[in-house]
Amino acid sequence: MAVRKSISAMSGAEKTAFINALRQLKTTAVNGRNYNWYIDQHVTFFSRTADNISHAHQAPSFFPWHREYLRLLEIDLQTVSGNTDIFIPYWDWTGGASPFTADFLGSITNGSVSSGNFSPAWGWSLYRSSIQTPFLQRRVGQNASRPSAATVSAVQSWQVYDQSPWNSTVSNSYRNRNEIELHNRVHNYVGGHMATREAPNDPAFWLHHCNIDRLWWLWQTSRGIDTYQPRTGFTSGVIDNDETMRPFAAGRTPSAVRDINSLGYSYA
Amino acid sequence: MAKTNRRDVLRYGAAGAVTAATAVVAGQELASADPPPGLDGVTSQVPGLKDTLDGLKAPLDPRDFDEIFKGKKIRGLHGLRGRNELMINNRRLALTEIETLFVPADGSPPYVGTGWISALNHYDPVEVDTRRNREGLRKLARKVVDVLGDSELAPSAAQEHGH
Repeated sequence: MAVRKSISAMSGAEKTAFINALRQLKTTAVNGRNYNWYIDQHVTFFSRTADNISHAHQAPSFFPWHREYLRLLEIDLQTVSGNTDIFIPYWDWTGGASPFTADFLGSITNGSVSSGNFSPAWGWSLYRSSIQTPFLQRRVGQNASRPSAATVSAVQSWQVYDQSPWNSTVSNSYRNRNEIELHNRVHNYVGGHMATREAPNDPAFWLHHCNIDRLWWLWQTSRGIDTYQPRTGFTSGVIDNDETMRPFAAGRTPSAVRDINSLGYSYA
Repeated sequence: MAKTNRRDVLRYGAAGAVTAATAVVAGQELASADPPPGLDGVTSQVPGLKDTLDGLKAPLDPRDFDEIFKGKKIRGLHGLRGRNELMINNRRLALTEIETLFVPADGSPPYVGTGWISALNHYDPVEVDTRRNREGLRKLARKVVDVLGDSELAPSAAQEHGH
């Protein structure tokens, strides 16, 4: 049972174990996946699939799709390292702790990560980059500011999970307000590769999405765990509660991932 | 040769027009011993080619631009059929149009509008229109130049994707 901690509560040994497992997964496949598989899925399922369904973004399945995506990575990191204590930490960007330190994700926040952790010399290579460079790019705070605690609180207060037309235009929707006001904003706050389609090239992706998942879980514990919309039906263009989310295994539906207690992790 | 119009020449570069001209020149050389004609001779023989070449000289839309920003050549074309085009140092950046909620950072009320995203501003749609956001495409180009820094667009940035 993985206990996902805040980056501010991690020991040095936990940070080292996490980043070393990511690096191992870059060059080693386990459970039929390696690190670049995750980048492929993010690029592929950002677009609508041939059946015109939006799986990962700008759709109600934004939350459950990424919950399953993170769960698989957590399992793969545990498998590749042989360390079942490994967990994906969350980055509460409203607080003071930064993941961009020399002992964690690397301390360069303005341009090319050309030395230190997550540089090529350390053993990190880019995949499907839309920027022609061997170096991970970050431009923290140059294009957007990070959300404040007040903004998070306002977003968490939306009561309707999601509603028609189930896309990025819905105003009265917890899913869309979180996706745009918190999720998108932090991608833009980190900048560089985090601003791109292939954002999982930056390991900050996982820490950010872990916090998004934690906020959804907090929202669920207050509004109801079984609150996904749309419920079973035939809503075209979106994933219903009982519909399998691609590319995940048959049966991996929003309903199947609604309760994190049954998924093998918790938040500390 | 398929019919060429000014927009196609602008969209796909002058290569098509040059190919047409080269084909005519080659044909002339084979057909007679006369010296090959200059460009004026060629344009008179390819229907519409003179228009396309003239079209390269003048912007089709007053919002179009072709300029240098932070050392990079940015070129933006506003499409007639809702298709906007952006080139950065002659490398194409595919753009995708999405309808989305905008939540202004200044606290003004949210609204729904049409935004343009690309592989490089994937979470940051930029509005482009003929009125309040008429400078939108230039703003998007500059934003992407800032993401690129010292680097260029990779070929994958030109790949289309739907939302």
